[in-house]
Amino acid sequence: MAGGNEVNLNEAKTVVPLNTWILISNFKLAYNLLRRPDGTFNRHLAEFLDRKVPANAIPVDGVFSFDVVIDKATSLVSRVYCPVPVDEAQPGIVELERPLSTEVVPVIIFFHGGSFAHSSANSAIYDTLCRRFVGICDAVVVSVNYRRAPENRYPCAYDDGCAALKWVSSRPWLRSGKDCKVHMYLCGDSSGGNIVHNVAMRAVESDIVLLGIILLNPLFGGEGRTESETKLDGKYFVAVQDRDWYWRAFLPEGDDRNHPACNPFGPRGRSLEGLEFPKSLVVVAGLDLVQDWQLAYVEGLKKAGQDVKLLYLEQATIGFYLLPNNNYFYTVMDEIKQFVRSNCYLLKLQNSSNK
Amino acid sequence: MGPYDASIPTGSGSCSSSSSSSCARKASDVDGLLAGAGYKVKSSDLLQVAKRLERLETFMVNTPSEISQQLASDTVHYNPTDLASWVDSLLSEFNHNYNQPHSFSSSVSDLSDFTADLHFSSVPDYWIEKNYTSPPHHPLTAVAAAATEEDSGIRLVHLLMTCAESVQRGDVSLAGSLIDYMQTLLSQVNRSSGIGKVAGYFIDALSRRLFYPQAVCAGSAFENEIWYHHFYEACPYLKFAHFTANQAILEAFDGHDCLHVIDFNLMYGLQWPALIQALALRPGGPPFLRITGIGPASPDGHDSLRGIGLKLAELARSVNVRFAFRGVAASRLDHVKPWMLKVGPAEVVAVNSIMQLHRLLSSEESLDTVLAWIRSLKPRIVTVVEQEANHNEPEFLDRFTESLYYYSTMFDSLEACTIQPEKTVAEMYIQREICNIVSCEGLARVERHEPLAKWKARLGAAGFWPLHLGSNAFKQANMLLTLFSAEGYCVEEKEGCLTIGWHSRPLIAASAWQAAPDPPPDPVPTPAPHVVVSS
Repeated sequence: MAGGNEVNLNEAKTVVPLNTWILISNFKLAYNLLRRPDGTFNRHLAEFLDRKVPANAIPVDGVFSFDVVIDKATSLVSRVYCPVPVDEAQPGIVELERPLSTEVVPVIIFFHGGSFAHSSANSAIYDTLCRRFVGICDAVVVSVNYRRAPENRYPCAYDDGCAALKWVSSRPWLRSGKDCKVHMYLCGDSSGGNIVHNVAMRAVESDIVLLGIILLNPLFGGEGRTESETKLDGKYFVAVQDRDWYWRAFLPEGDDRNHPACNPFGPRGRSLEGLEFPKSLVVVAGLDLVQDWQLAYVEGLKKAGQDVKLLYLEQATIGFYLLPNNNYFYTVMDEIKQFVRSNCYLLKLQNSSNK
Repeated sequence: MGPYDASIPTGSGSCSSSSSSSCARKASDVDGLLAGAGYKVKSSDLLQVAKRLERLETFMVNTPSEISQQLASDTVHYNPTDLASWVDSLLSEFNHNYNQPHSFSSSVSDLSDFTADLHFSSVPDYWIEKNYTSPPHHPLTAVAAAATEEDSGIRLVHLLMTCAESVQRGDVSLAGSLIDYMQTLLSQVNRSSGIGKVAGYFIDALSRRLFYPQAVCAGSAFENEIWYHHFYEACPYLKFAHFTANQAILEAFDGHDCLHVIDFNLMYGLQWPALIQALALRPGGPPFLRITGIGPASPDGHDSLRGIGLKLAELARSVNVRFAFRGVAASRLDHVKPWMLKVGPAEVVAVNSIMQLHRLLSSEESLDTVLAWIRSLKPRIVTVVEQEANHNEPEFLDRFTESLYYYSTMFDSLEACTIQPEKTVAEMYIQREICNIVSCEGLARVERHEPLAKWKARLGAAGFWPLHLGSNAFKQANMLLTLFSAEGYCVEEKEGCLTIGWHSRPLIAASAWQAAPDPPPDPVPTPAPHVVVSS
């Protein structure tokens, strides 16, 4: 076993603030208790321990939220977060018949993390994060409560992602701008980042237009062991064997980590050359042990001639974006805001020059 | 100096750069960032909690994973929001079983052994997980005016709000026209499901408020009984209430032999057979159980309370539980006096209130009176289940809006039920509540639901301390849900209480309480010292 029985916690403690260390360590230990060696998952205890918050139609800090059923058949629900419009007389009542505004309002479809098995759209950490996105980007956020492993394996999460994308693209009340369209972005962290890539791949084959995708510490992997996995195993909250467990729980039974869902540019992957893939922003934490796979993903996109921006944060660990108590948090939020709003600015220019 | 020296920013962010006095002020506050993540940890405790997490990790690393997981699954977890105590409870479990890898199962005392037979056969945990075909993954709530409804549905909601607002303003003629218009719109909407169905009941209740305010909302005793039984079968809310309360009561009664349960509304006694059966299976033999059932006197003179009591006694006899029953007829809980309950000196008391306390809120005094006499009985546990809703706001429009969303959600969940005629008749049970909230006022308005947070404050102020419902009750409540085919029900834990809801909108909340110990008497004041100031 890597590291033996000695608990090597010293590194993590020196690079994150105390409350972050407590939060992530708490998750780490709780999650250890939930994963069973036989591949099953203690779902009851997981749901009991997960801290959840209800939606709130009353604006708090300029954001209100409500839950919608997207697909009754699969019980697919999403939480929608909206900014309170400045000129609206009655905030909290969503005018479901009118478009959002003549200004462009980006709609970010968000996929929460949790290695495909943990968390929900109504988990406190993700509710908080989505509210932050609304405030920072002046966007609507739709957080998808996708089906989780091991009860629901590949491709359930991707199917749910696509269903959500279709739903968002067909809501008249999410349209904005003078071109009266839904301006969509995908965003996700950890397993959510993986879902973002795979849903974007499917979107490319449909007529749905994505303006951009954002991947925060996305989960990718492969059969080989990379240098970062070996070097960082067990050092910053994450161990390789845990990562392996989650892939075994998500991928089709008996399959391995070279499955294209896990390893999009591996031996079973395909090139994206020539495809109209949306521009992407990929954030990689320098202390995340899967970074080599994430960097390989970025390389794969570059080789295919796609527009990809890499944000490499040297001393960041997993979960750094959950609490606004470190510089990386602010750096990433600024980048995301730029990424999402630059289109709005361009469209504004376009529209005014078309007059 | 540990790894966390002053140069590393702490959660409050500004602490390291501000003066020491403001740091001191912040130290007793809860860490704001962790609170946003759902955890309450005092800033001054952060270091301690970190150390305990480290120690816990050491234990876990040195314990084989199968044992860790078994321990985690056998342990009853409480209130994960209080991170410090959760970590401590795990630490003591590991500590207790450290170096004793083979005796861990016998050392964990857990009531799940004999409560497993409460409603289901006991199956090992892993079997349930493996056979999950469609597990309850707790999806989120749908709001009544969700985007999935067609235009007329949305229009109906807007009209209902406008009508309620005009009712509040006293504009009877506008309200009347709106009601007429809504009736016509209703004919264009699918009335058998979704917004059409709920709107129908609310339009009806509004028109009662305007034109027949004296009309009574309840059915006959016979009708009420039918509605109740169908509601009981069609959806899990009542079963959840009974089941969760029973679990808490069983735990509170552990080790005691002379038990007295006071039921604030006996109804048809559906809660008690399961408790009696569980007590029958208690290791060491069943205790003596007395149930005192409070309920309204029957209008036709026949003693319905006694009738239920006899049935319960029959059941108790068949499972060899020594049992006694007393009925107390009272039209209101605040008409009950403690002496009527005849609590014996050796008896350990449980007070059980399933959706009764809110009925007392038409007068603050009534509730205070009742809470005071509950406390005077020195109960070992008070189980409280209430609708998780805000239906007692002073403004009519607020009550109307809240209840529209609440009952839309509840109807949504009923829609998913497939058993007939339970489903249709169960709606009458709900309709009665809607009618009361919307068309009644004053003493007649008894459905004065308030959310858990308010009940916590009231009970705290009345001298009660919370008793936390744990992961065992949570797990078994979830198992209850597997009996219902509908996918959207979910049970959630909220700081020691459990809620059941539909698509994550909590609809019913269960909590448990104990009487806080009486404060020590004030010390006899000593006379002020005679001070002589010499110049």
